Amino acid sequence: MTYLKWTLRATVAIVMFLLLHYTLPQHDIVRVVNTYQERQDLNDWTRVFWAKPDDQSAELVNRDVQFIQTVRRKSSLLGFVVHNREEPMVFRNEDTGWSWPPYFKFDTANLQTQADDLRSTPEEPKWAVMTHYGWRNELISVFPNAVAIKPIDGPDARVIPWFNIFFFVFLVIAVLFVRAMWRQFRERSIDPALNEAGEAWDRVDARADEAKGRFGRWIDSWRSKPKR
Amino acid sequence: MGLIRLLVFGFLGLSVAYLAISFYSRSIRKEKLEDRWVEDHPGDGDSPEREAFIHDGMVEYQSGIRPKLILLVYVIPALAALLLLYLINFF
Repeated sequence: MTYLKWTLRATVAIVMFLLLHYTLPQHDIVRVVNTYQERQDLNDWTRVFWAKPDDQSAELVNRDVQFIQTVRRKSSLLGFVVHNREEPMVFRNEDTGWSWPPYFKFDTANLQTQADDLRSTPEEPKWAVMTHYGWRNELISVFPNAVAIKPIDGPDARVIPWFNIFFFVFLVIAVLFVRAMWRQFRERSIDPALNEAGEAWDRVDARADEAKGRFGRWIDSWRSKPKR
Repeated sequence: MGLIRLLVFGFLGLSVAYLAISFYSRSIRKEKLEDRWVEDHPGDGDSPEREAFIHDGMVEYQSGIRPKLILLVYVIPALAALLLLYLINFF
């Protein structure tokens, strides 16, 4: 039972972590190399890693998607540690519209223009902060979705993830609040109901004992004592 | 269509939160009234006066500002979504 409980808890924790890691915004320090547009097939299970910009796109088997090719500073530990090395990173650039995840992004064309404007060479680099969500996976051709791009002075800029800070503060408050609500509900509504039911059952039991009478009690005396 | 879906499911989700918070807030107020009665009348568990005191207190609570403040459960997420929409697309 303990194993089951901990397995269940670990599974919930891992799923929550993956969901948040995919959905919450992350910041990369990038240099835009190129942008391109490519027809994408969308009719297998990897469809979940592409956005649904509008209702008609939900039915389409394939459509054009815009991409932003960048070179980014390598980072580890959820982006908190930025290294001095570089690696290629390709972002997709799609509207999220009114659907999941709730970024309400409608400015794909503008973002593509801004990215084009920031294009630079290794000799004369123009650095920028790319805000994005999602994962890159080469094996199944999954790309993170670019949300915003902002020019910065140099590659050593420090980005403070304000949104994520507010989000996790809110999450902790919400969890504590729900816990307080549940405790109040249990104390005031569930426990009294259980006590009531317990008392009602005791009354029924007592009446049944009375009804059995002397003969019943004598029969009972031959039975083994009820276990406690 | 996407906007309508968001509005409908958002409204349903927030309504669950609204009802839960209303229930919780009423429960807290009722518990406070009970505690206050016990403080002033030790040993009085269930007299008609106690019932009337709690009933009056709850009526007063219903007409106060607090139940109306819980409506912010609808307002704040809507404003947050509008702010996000503005920051992402037009800022």
